Amino acid sequence: MRKPMVPTRRQFLGYSSSALVGLAAFPSSRAKADAAEFKVGMFLPQGGPASIFLAGGRACAELAVDEVNAGGGISGRKVRLVFADGGVAPAEAAKSAIRLILDERVEIITGSHDGGVREALVSAIKGKVPYVFSPVTENGNCSANTYYLGETAQQQNEIIFDALVKPRNLKSFYLVGNDYSWPRAVNENSKKFIAESGGKIVGEEYVPFGTPNRFEEIVTRIKSVNPDVILITLVGGDNVTFNRTFGAFGTDGRILRVGYLLEEQTLAGIGADGSRNLFSALGYFSTAPGGAGDQFKQAFSAKFGETSPQLFAQVGTIGVDSYAAVHFARALIAKAGSTKARDCMAASEGLSFTTATGPAVMMHRYVNRTMYLAECKGTTFSVVATKEGVRNESSCKT
Amino acid sequence: MQDLIAAQTINLIYAVTLLAVLSLGLAVIFGLLGVLNLAHGEFIMLGAYCAVVVRQNGWPFLTAIPLAILVCGSIGYVIEVLIMRRLYRRTFDTLVATWGLSLLLRKSAEAVFGLTYRSVETPLPGTIDVFGVPYPAYRLAVIGLGATAIFVLAIWYGNSRTGLRIRAMTGNPELAQSLGLSVKRLAAGTFVTGTCLAALSGVMIAPLVPVFPYMGLDYVLRTFFVIVVGGLGSVIGLVYGALAIGGLDSAVSAFSNGTYGYLSVIVLAIAFLWLRPRGIHVRG
Repeated sequence: MRKPMVPTRRQFLGYSSSALVGLAAFPSSRAKADAAEFKVGMFLPQGGPASIFLAGGRACAELAVDEVNAGGGISGRKVRLVFADGGVAPAEAAKSAIRLILDERVEIITGSHDGGVREALVSAIKGKVPYVFSPVTENGNCSANTYYLGETAQQQNEIIFDALVKPRNLKSFYLVGNDYSWPRAVNENSKKFIAESGGKIVGEEYVPFGTPNRFEEIVTRIKSVNPDVILITLVGGDNVTFNRTFGAFGTDGRILRVGYLLEEQTLAGIGADGSRNLFSALGYFSTAPGGAGDQFKQAFSAKFGETSPQLFAQVGTIGVDSYAAVHFARALIAKAGSTKARDCMAASEGLSFTTATGPAVMMHRYVNRTMYLAECKGTTFSVVATKEGVRNESSCKT
Repeated sequence: MQDLIAAQTINLIYAVTLLAVLSLGLAVIFGLLGVLNLAHGEFIMLGAYCAVVVRQNGWPFLTAIPLAILVCGSIGYVIEVLIMRRLYRRTFDTLVATWGLSLLLRKSAEAVFGLTYRSVETPLPGTIDVFGVPYPAYRLAVIGLGATAIFVLAIWYGNSRTGLRIRAMTGNPELAQSLGLSVKRLAAGTFVTGTCLAALSGVMIAPLVPVFPYMGLDYVLRTFFVIVVGGLGSVIGLVYGALAIGGLDSAVSAFSNGTYGYLSVIVLAIAFLWLRPRGIHVRG
């Protein structure tokens, strides 16, 4: 019989302690060597379905780092990004965050990932360094030294109801989303707007998050109820499959649809087959008119040269949020003069910083911003309404 | 109301047929060779990318079929010769090997095509009236073609000489070899057939879903449930399994919601694994 390969307890202790010593020896020397750099820890999903946002987000963040460094860096130090995987289980992301703070000595952490990972990171970081959650978000969390750059449901609904629901006199609503916190929080906000506008909800349903869903049954049910508009809080692949199925059933003639997380890549997946009478409300569309967006596009193609069009196709609102996150870090530290929670939270109030669509202002740790409503034309967005200075409804203290 | 019931009934037939077709390749490889092919979903994904490639080049949709057979057949053959041949009858080892293979295929697709969603324009747009209910034409074609394919395969497996040889090989490989059957060639042929069937189902679903490197993960679990519930090694078992899993999911989703539909599928699969691990239809 062969001897089992399991080490004895003594061997195991020996191996692991020498490994620990080795691990501990490296980072400290590295941290000393890099003391002149200002490190930004950035969580982006590196594996799993959400990693479709990786290439675009990374490119945008690198562009922002170039710009910040050209302008003298953060507090006179050159900025360097240290990437971590945001597409993992919450507990694993929390471990990475601790490693980033202790080993890599990052001085600010930004993230673009789901809400589960966000909550884990908030608990792990505990406000020791500023934490910037960059993508679309539900409103409400006010943890210390935590900042939100994404569109809130309130901001999305303000332009959806002002520019689409009220002018077209849409009265009956069907809500469909994935079954987790963000869609339910968005729908809670939407229900307030529906009640205010005198509309009624004729259906509300959720499908499991992270499993393959078919939508034939749901589309058939929606068709039989015949609402004026469907508010969609499905994400990623489910968002694509639902809208393709909807298009195939020939139901896109009268019923309008609005997606709450419908950006360039999702629309590419939906294709022209499924995008008739489909709308999206976000803070960035690559086709939005106006000077600042064009400046961003020029800077992007100047940096990435020949690969730029292919890469730019992967940049949507979630990508440009990572660009804003780096500029926000610069503005925040410049004004606060430290990374301490009290200094940073005070400095964040009224803080103006660069985004892909021009300067934005932070109030109550969320962003007041320009919102766009776009109608899908084939696989491109055509912006049909713009609303400037849409305030967030946060009541977070600073 | 009648229209709603009629439409949901067609949805159920569609769900069952689609699931049966998606499971065919796994049924062949798992049911006949005993290889629990965790890379099944990745072969579906490669098939779907074949449809993306032909559409990008402006070729007719149907040219994706020979391309998928060529691509996945060759990959399947190489894998059989290099890896699988050594692992038959070692179910756990095949599980680990095909899991590794699934990672490799997924990352290769990522390297070639990137992570973005691709959409394939539907080859049959519009709807056709069935019993007064307008139903998407392409989905009706899926029902028709899928049912035909399963029927033909059942007849062929039950009556052809190759079917007889495969049954002999899976029944008793040593005896079959001593009778002069080339078990090696037969096993390779069966494995390649399984990968090709998976690829063809991938071509079929390409116009229905987003095509991206991770899409295979969506299918491997559900098709595995089909085989578990239906029973290994026969086409009739596959049909029972698809009816149970796809039918239950679709019926529950139609009359309550998708979360309960998925829950009922999981409960059914667990019940079978626990109480009747050989499935509804036990061969021989």
